[in-house]
Amino acid sequence: MELDVRDVHLHFGGIRALNGVSFTVRGPELIGLIGPNGAGKTTLTNVISGVYKPSKGAVYLNGERISGLPPYHIARRGIGRTFQVTRAFRRMTVLENMLVPAMALHPAGRRQEFVERAHEILRFLTMDHLALEYARSLSGGQQKLLELGRLLMLDPDVIILDEPFAGVHPKLRETIWEFITTVHQQGKAFIIISHDMETIFTLSQRLLVLNFGQLIADGPPEQVKEDPAVIEAYLGKEDE
Amino acid sequence: MKHVDWRWVLTGSALALAVSAPFLLSGYPYWLHVAIVAYFYAILASSWSLLAGHAGQFSFAHMAFMAIGAYGSGLMGKYWGTSPLTGIVLSTVLAGLVGLIIGVLCLRLKGAYLALFTIAFSEVLRLTLNAELDITGGPNGLDLPPLLATTSRVPYYYLMLTLLLVSLGFMYWLAGSRFGLFFRSIREDEEAAAAMGVHIVRYKVLAFVITAMIAGLAGGVEAHYIGLITPNILILGQMSIVIAMAVIGGIESLLGAAIGAILIQFSLELLRELGNWRLVAFGLLLMLTLRFARNGLIYPLIERLVLYQARRAVIEGREQKAKQAGEGA
Repeated sequence: MELDVRDVHLHFGGIRALNGVSFTVRGPELIGLIGPNGAGKTTLTNVISGVYKPSKGAVYLNGERISGLPPYHIARRGIGRTFQVTRAFRRMTVLENMLVPAMALHPAGRRQEFVERAHEILRFLTMDHLALEYARSLSGGQQKLLELGRLLMLDPDVIILDEPFAGVHPKLRETIWEFITTVHQQGKAFIIISHDMETIFTLSQRLLVLNFGQLIADGPPEQVKEDPAVIEAYLGKEDE
Repeated sequence: MKHVDWRWVLTGSALALAVSAPFLLSGYPYWLHVAIVAYFYAILASSWSLLAGHAGQFSFAHMAFMAIGAYGSGLMGKYWGTSPLTGIVLSTVLAGLVGLIIGVLCLRLKGAYLALFTIAFSEVLRLTLNAELDITGGPNGLDLPPLLATTSRVPYYYLMLTLLLVSLGFMYWLAGSRFGLFFRSIREDEEAAAAMGVHIVRYKVLAFVITAMIAGLAGGVEAHYIGLITPNILILGQMSIVIAMAVIGGIESLLGAAIGAILIQFSLELLRELGNWRLVAFGLLLMLTLRFARNGLIYPLIERLVLYQARRAVIEGREQKAKQAGEGA
């Protein structure tokens, strides 16, 4: 698997949300995407997942251009994502939430097989007992877990998580951590956006840092931590 | 003691009552007529519930699609000499085609914008039908020949009942299939559904086409039964009645919407002596439902008696399985 983001620009009128962002994900990397508020992290994930079409530049998945394709097509090609604010299908049961991606991906598949797979994943996420509950009755953390479960049903090669740890109970946080490390070991690539520096520096193998729509650092966490441009982006210049 | 399965008790009783109604109402042909009209509205309310409650497309064009079925069949008979049956089939397809166009045009519209667009479409159609005196008969309406060679209402009763049951059966199948799952995911969150691989455009348009065809079919049959169709059927008040029936029954429940339509149609007839006050009461009921029972008045009962039992059956089955597995080990 290779995800190639090549010189991506995105303008909203006069605002430059992304300005020449380039990086490549090769194989099952575990990447953290950080940056101050408004740096363009979520915008970048929206470009990769097809919500926005770049003004210039392109995104390639395994050598094929995917920018410009509709989001559903990109999801079927192998890029799954969650959202900053949890977006479970609230008036559907947990099980129905899980079935949506599987049935979209395999229209001719057998429902019973999907149901069994969904229960298996829900057990892994310690929420199988909630399978028949409406998603709206779950806590915020459980809804985040449900989003992760849906991603596993989609079975993408690249998983983009937008703030997976934000506002989550410590116990569920452990479950999410375990989810990421286990699924990563199974060969999936992750791009994780987080403001939780301690977690993201510990979890990631590689860090991308965005500031004002530009990629200002790309490397191992230890190296990025010492990068003057990153320190400046977060703390400001000494004379400011 | 075994639990009483209310699903089958209620379904069986309702079906028995519906099938025997012509015998029970043999001395009251007017009430048989009311039942036929009630079933007609039940088809409209339940198909609108599929479009709005399941797929999240809050359209005001449903009566317009119904009118396309009715006028389409009448005009085909008038100008091409088609039989009522052929006319109904062709105008059902025509309603689906118009539904396809409206569905595509409405793709990027949501909420108030979608509602306003579909109101505008209905009004354009109504004004056109009103203006084209020579072709459509204008405000006087268009005469249609009977579909069945009989003066009795009983065959029409069974025809409309069959149409209701078949359309409900089809819509339930659809709602329970992956199509229904995708409809509801789109209703909940289009962007999240697309991120899960759901082809938003296809399923939104499909919802419009299917429900337009069902409304068109019902409109064709009803118009040939009544023998006359006028543009008045397209006034906003008529569409509001269908919406109110679905909302009071339960906007997310096909059966709730259908039962709501039947009960309301009968209630309106029973309270006819009250004149416009019955509509005032009906409006108040709608307001109270929206304020205090957003799932409608019928749907919670169905959920309690049917869905609760279905869920309990699944849970009991799973417990049984776990127990057997435990004993085996």
